Amino acid sequence: MSELVWLEHYPPGTEPEIGEVPYRNLPDLLRQAAARYTDTIAFTHCMPNGMNGSLRYGDVERLSDDFAVYLREVVGLEQGDRVAVQMPNCLSYPVVAFGILKAGCVLVNTNPLYTASEMTHQFKDSGARALVIIDMFADRLPEVLPQTQIETVVTVRISEFLPAVVAGIIRATQRYWSRMVQPITVEHTSLLAALESGRARRKGGSDVEGYLQGIDLDSLAVLQYTGGTTGVSKGAMLSHGNLVSNTLQTLQMCGSAIRPGEETVLTALPLYHVFAFTVNLIGFYYMGARNILIPSPRPPSNLKRAFENYQITWITGVNTLFNALLHERWFLEYPPKYLRASAAGGMALHHSVAEHWREVTGTPIVEGYGLTESSPALTFNPLGGTVKDGTIGMPVPSTEVRCVDEDGNPMPPGEPGELIARGPQIMQGYWQQPEETQETLKDGWLHTGDIAEMDEMGYFTIVDRKKDMILVSGFNVYPNEVEERIAELPSVIEAGVVGVPNSKTGETVRAYVVAEDPPPSEAEIIAHCREHLTAYKVPRSVTFVDELPKSPIGKILRKELRGAVATVPADVGDPEPGAASGSVGV
Amino acid sequence: MSIMSLSLAVMQAPDPDHEVVTQFEQVMLVGLVFVIMFGLGAGLTPRDFMSALRRPWGLIIGWVTQFAIMPFLAFLLVLGLILQLPAEFAAPLALGALLMGSVPAGTTSNIFTFFSKGNLGLSLMMTTNSTLWALVMTPLALVLYGTRFMPGDLDLQIPIDNIIVTLVILLVPVAAAMVVRRYSPNIGAVMELMGGAFGLFFIVFLIATWVPRNWILLVGTAWQVYAVAVCLGLFGITISYWIARAIRLHPMNARTIGLETGIQNGPLAIAIILLSFPDSPQLGLLLLVPALYSLFIVIVATVVTIYFRRANLAEEQNIPNLL
Repeated sequence: MSELVWLEHYPPGTEPEIGEVPYRNLPDLLRQAAARYTDTIAFTHCMPNGMNGSLRYGDVERLSDDFAVYLREVVGLEQGDRVAVQMPNCLSYPVVAFGILKAGCVLVNTNPLYTASEMTHQFKDSGARALVIIDMFADRLPEVLPQTQIETVVTVRISEFLPAVVAGIIRATQRYWSRMVQPITVEHTSLLAALESGRARRKGGSDVEGYLQGIDLDSLAVLQYTGGTTGVSKGAMLSHGNLVSNTLQTLQMCGSAIRPGEETVLTALPLYHVFAFTVNLIGFYYMGARNILIPSPRPPSNLKRAFENYQITWITGVNTLFNALLHERWFLEYPPKYLRASAAGGMALHHSVAEHWREVTGTPIVEGYGLTESSPALTFNPLGGTVKDGTIGMPVPSTEVRCVDEDGNPMPPGEPGELIARGPQIMQGYWQQPEETQETLKDGWLHTGDIAEMDEMGYFTIVDRKKDMILVSGFNVYPNEVEERIAELPSVIEAGVVGVPNSKTGETVRAYVVAEDPPPSEAEIIAHCREHLTAYKVPRSVTFVDELPKSPIGKILRKELRGAVATVPADVGDPEPGAASGSVGV
Repeated sequence: MSIMSLSLAVMQAPDPDHEVVTQFEQVMLVGLVFVIMFGLGAGLTPRDFMSALRRPWGLIIGWVTQFAIMPFLAFLLVLGLILQLPAEFAAPLALGALLMGSVPAGTTSNIFTFFSKGNLGLSLMMTTNSTLWALVMTPLALVLYGTRFMPGDLDLQIPIDNIIVTLVILLVPVAAAMVVRRYSPNIGAVMELMGGAFGLFFIVFLIATWVPRNWILLVGTAWQVYAVAVCLGLFGITISYWIARAIRLHPMNARTIGLETGIQNGPLAIAIILLSFPDSPQLGLLLLVPALYSLFIVIVATVVTIYFRRANLAEEQNIPNLL
């Protein structure tokens, strides 16, 4: 393993290998954490107006046991049965997710903003037998359920486990004021009733631990759907071992920055997304931290009360979230006093954002990298060591990463190639997609489809997505580079860059820009790019838009921008990419 | 205190003992204002006030619009409209109008700021600030514009107790609510919602009860007086809003400054008149503009707030909260 140059640069205390995992499965890890921190607050749900409720580790343990018993003994599910979960961040999420895992079943994380047809696809594909869904979105069920194998529907209210008066007000507001909750017409059980019946059985002597007989690190734990770039979404099969390993791997890169039992982490990213799922829900839980769950971080002013009311020590987020906070006056004037560090993932963290963040908060921010298929973390900048902005850091322990050419030959440092990785966090494959699996997993190596290069210290830099690359007269243009340049202009909030078909050059570069009032002119943006970029990389046209299409965690969806281009010929006029956006983020 | 002691005594047939609002209603209204202010305070932290201090532009512009623009606006309205009336009516009416333009902002402005999603921290600071400054600025503005309308021997009385009551009703519940919210964000959030609901009730109550009761007054008054009473508030809000926008304050702060400036402390103006001219045969005329103003400002501010919510919130979707 002489090629693992990064190991020499690991900070003191970071082991090269995580060694043998000391847990039988994920619930084993969760149980041990709950036993250690029984009376510590585990989760706090914070509404935009400050209304809140909390669960202690002991509560989460007990309630998720109840739910496991409900699934196995009341519903009659078996080990390995899939249970779909569809809700924004709220106190029910950990109870339900942990309950499913404790029942030996497989959790199918589902974006609550999915349309009926997306839901149908995911439920059918996963073969889910039960669904736990937030009541706000249950109105789609009459259309969806008949096409799936789902027999049991459990409904959850956003206000679950909040103090009674507060919960009552939230429910009344939802029902009568914002009319977000429609009467549910399909047969269903409320979460509270489900827990009640599970508890009754458990008191009668159910063997909760017995549900996990035979469930080990190789057993399937989660189906995490990912669109990838190929279109139809497919389920990455993440095993108990994948998730436990990745938790331990990620924590190794944080050094002493996470103090056991003392952290308060802002969880503004949705837990159904793999980043928050592994890092916040499992990782920080394992470390005895208090997760501040934000049901909806948009607009960013929704986070104001959370920052005012809790002493937040950690933030996990994506570039979009950090950038948005840095545009809020209340945040700039009163950056979180107790913050220790922030971790960014999910998309490239812009250099300018990272620097501004450090300046404003006076604390480090580190970028990591990973895929749904790798549970997710593959690389991270080590918190106790050298942090290199603009890089995705070095591979986490027990992980090999290479950049390879088309034929699979490793590239020398400084030369770009497709990033491939091997380690205990790599998924088992795509659910019932042997061909897709074969294309992605070759000899245990995960082919990421990202173009990256490694420096002499073993730090990796993502150049771009293979599929996002723009080809201008035979030259490669990486949208990231152009976007970052445009974002340097102070009045630009964010930019998305895509290729537009062109009869002479094959493709030309077009930028979609979200700007503050007053916006810069198109000429200014192009002039700025011209100053810093080679001619073929400079956008030929700039379109100002109100917002860019984003994934649920805030990643700019270039695919949708390209789609918007495709529907209208380049020289006819500029379409509104916002209109093509399907996801709004929860 | 008396947002309500609009003992619109007043008018054509001055009858200073005629109570428009019953004792019970007075108590209820004071209680309401207290609950509302408590609710507004529950949404705030000390940071909201420090922010206003750190960027004092809002406060400074607010001071200028409050004590430079409003009295001048009242003066222009007097010149343009009131002086058309017969001289014996014009002088006391003019004095009442000028006084109405020179008093500080009232508590009602905070409620409307809340509903128009303005900057509540700034709003409360502005009300406090202008109420304190009123001790100096209100007499000064009256001397500047109103000497020609005043009786020679006038001894203008600024009722200190009224000023104190205003400040108490403003600051005590706000401070208490901030403490409560610090210890229980849940109680704070519930109080905030209740404050909003009561605020809505308060506005509806004022409009619904005052207009019918003062019907006779409304019918018997010259249109010029109406115009002054309505325009003082409406123009005050509009002009100061656009000044704030022109110097590129955040729309949220501009809304706040507009409402703070245009919404005056009507009851204070009435109290000043009752104290300073206790035996004047023209008491009714003196009180006419302040009384009508107090009546119409609720309606004007409601309309403006609805407009603000529609027009500005859409615009702000694109403005990061940075300016």
